[in-house]
Amino acid sequence: MSSLEYYPIIDVSPLMKGLVIGGLGIFHVFLAQFAIGGGMLLCYLQWLHMRGECRLARRFADDYFKVLVLVSFVLGAVTGVAMWFTSIQISPRTIATMVREFHWVWATEWTFFCLEVVAGYLFYRYGPRLADPARLHLLLLYSVASWMSLFWINGILSWQLTPGTWLESRNVWDGFFNPGFLPSLIFRTISSASIAALAACALVNLVPGFTRSERHSLVAICARPLVFMLAMPLVGGWYIATMPADSRVWATGGNVPMTLFLTMAVGSSTLIGLYAVVAILRQRLYVNGATASLLLALAFVATAGGEFVREGVRKPFTIREYLYSNSIPRDGIAALRERGSATDDPYPLRNAADYPNAQLVLGAKVFRTQCSVCHTLEGMNAVVDLAGTWSIDQRRLNIAQLQRTKPFMPPFAGTPEEVEGVVQLIGWLRAGRPAAWDESHDPVVLEQIRRWLDEAGTGPGDATLARAGPSP
Amino acid sequence: MNTIFPLGLPSATAFYLVLYLATYVMHMVFMHYVLAGSTYLAVGRLMGRERCASCGWQTILVDWLPFATGLAITAGVAPLLFVQMLYGREFATANLLLSHRWMAILPVLIVCFYLLYLQKSSWIARRAWAWRPVVAAVACAGFLFIAWSWTENHLLMLDRQAWPGLYEAGALWYESPGVVPRLAIWFFLAFPSLAIELAWQGRLLGVPLDAPAAPDARVAGLSPVRRLALTACAGLTGTTFAAIAYWPTISVAAQAVVMGALAGPWLALLVGAVAVQAAVWIVTAIRDRLTLPLLIAATCAWLIGLVSVAVVREAIRLAAVDLATAAESHTAAVHIGGLPVFLIFAVLNAAAIVWCIRTVRTAIR
Repeated sequence: MSSLEYYPIIDVSPLMKGLVIGGLGIFHVFLAQFAIGGGMLLCYLQWLHMRGECRLARRFADDYFKVLVLVSFVLGAVTGVAMWFTSIQISPRTIATMVREFHWVWATEWTFFCLEVVAGYLFYRYGPRLADPARLHLLLLYSVASWMSLFWINGILSWQLTPGTWLESRNVWDGFFNPGFLPSLIFRTISSASIAALAACALVNLVPGFTRSERHSLVAICARPLVFMLAMPLVGGWYIATMPADSRVWATGGNVPMTLFLTMAVGSSTLIGLYAVVAILRQRLYVNGATASLLLALAFVATAGGEFVREGVRKPFTIREYLYSNSIPRDGIAALRERGSATDDPYPLRNAADYPNAQLVLGAKVFRTQCSVCHTLEGMNAVVDLAGTWSIDQRRLNIAQLQRTKPFMPPFAGTPEEVEGVVQLIGWLRAGRPAAWDESHDPVVLEQIRRWLDEAGTGPGDATLARAGPSP
Repeated sequence: MNTIFPLGLPSATAFYLVLYLATYVMHMVFMHYVLAGSTYLAVGRLMGRERCASCGWQTILVDWLPFATGLAITAGVAPLLFVQMLYGREFATANLLLSHRWMAILPVLIVCFYLLYLQKSSWIARRAWAWRPVVAAVACAGFLFIAWSWTENHLLMLDRQAWPGLYEAGALWYESPGVVPRLAIWFFLAFPSLAIELAWQGRLLGVPLDAPAAPDARVAGLSPVRRLALTACAGLTGTTFAAIAYWPTISVAAQAVVMGALAGPWLALLVGAVAVQAAVWIVTAIRDRLTLPLLIAATCAWLIGLVSVAVVREAIRLAAVDLATAAESHTAAVHIGGLPVFLIFAVLNAAAIVWCIRTVRTAIR
């Protein structure tokens, strides 16, 4: 029997599955960071009010919190659950591994969710009627709880890229306090503070009842957390330094889309930081609603770029050196090379009758198991577009030695017959899905594919990783 | 399976099951409020503006449903985590098989959540009355869709034989004779919960429950207390009939487990809890007042009933899964570190929650 646990695989073509979870993830992260930074900003406003340094702070805090509840408590909470469900849809083996290894961390995070919701809702409902000390205490509890939820989830997410000594020890705390944990936590905290500050600047202009000068003074106060963005280059550099060498290469020129997204994140953050520090804080310029919204949109772009890079640089893994991006375990490849990745798959193809022969059906099943998490057949990032123009032998070699073809691809996890099935499938698609298609079972070809598979080995393509891992 | 739940089960499995059920019951408390509350409101809104104005329960529901929904979602995160620990493969497979249809519960939940806020907004207060029944009905329909999707998902988890065929067909609906009666059980069960919860809310908000109701508090001739009694009794009756309809749809093996040593005593407890609740509400309806001792008795029976029904539900699932294989992974998982940290923060955060509530209550007084 295969070591692989099989799940039904969904099809979201013409979209890529990565785009679905990535899009939702970016949206959720942005909302969550808004909630976290919002809590901190509100504590600051309440503290200023209690010190008599801002007479408008209390009133604005109540208005801000209403928005926080309507946006974060609804959209933030539900998209958080949606992330879980979507992870199951996209990569059930990955999320199963994460749940197994970190279930107590997640359970701990949940206790903070409970505190966050109760403290937040009590403030939302009763805040205007409470005395200042009680308000501050509620806000502090809300703020600490929301930041702690970041603390816990950050450990799990950073573990995916830099599992550190967990790979040897399998100790949950070795995985949690991994090399990327601290820079990532600080970076996200700064991002949270910045997003909340920009949202506040936008909101100041939307809330009725403030005069122009009151708005001006509130903007000047709410923009103060943006000063932390000055530390972003340092912390960002620290985070990049903790990345594995090959991942760093993807993000810094080795892979064009990832480099572009990193540039987008850095560029947007730089623009926001410059505007905030030079214009708002130093020149004390007034920021109207349109400008604040534009800055907030730039912050969204920065978040999107950063999250895309974070997801992308894990390739060819989804859990570094443990689980490949198609959620096949690193130490399971050798067995699948013998057994085949489709042999024990209990789920038939949905449209098997559309394929003219059994070899193409096999190819489609192999594609579904090994490729469909990142590729479509004919939609976005389609295999037919990527490999359709290759000669047939080129296709055989490149697929058999996938990790050498592109080092961010995982090794092929199947038999020579499965390689040939995928090769024929791409050829058939390229030919426009003709009604008849000959099967190809030439023993010489299959033997050659076997040699190519053996040459490439079962480890990842990057030489450093291949040496470090357990596979030949 | 020859000893009362959870004894006799592999220790790691029993441990996770107890945690799962404890958090699931917590989720049920809020989820019932939302499901039954939104239905109560949708039906109530059809009675017209004047009757709605007289119904204090509707006012409370409009006010508190958004918060209850937030709590239901938050409380639902923990059982969602533990169900994956216990039945990860089955749960993920059912999710994947229902695919886009299953995922539709998320946008529906967002829409419903916002509609609950809309119901208490000044925007709707300025609109024609006809908007309110429409908004309430759409929110209620959304929550029912979510309840139905969960029921379908749960039953599909247990029907391993159906998985390949359902996948091949690309069907987005899982048809099973158990879906409707099981959904009916959980739907009707929410109403006794709502009655208890509203009664406690009423007490805390100063609604006179153990005194004659003011004439203007009556709706269709029924006092607030009688309306609660009617709600609870209708829910208990509906649950009983739905359970009778559901029974023949479950497997013989599951029936044996439910009636056997594992879940039989819990089933008896459930029947007893339903009987006590029914008795309390009938007495309340006859006397037209709900005294504190009666409310406490009903609450105890209700909580025992919730725990019992959760155990019986789990026994049916245990009869359908490969417990031996699952137990191995549970044993491995229980040795993964982190439990002490969870326990410490669970206690600390529970204390912080209590402190928040006490602080606000004191300040408001």
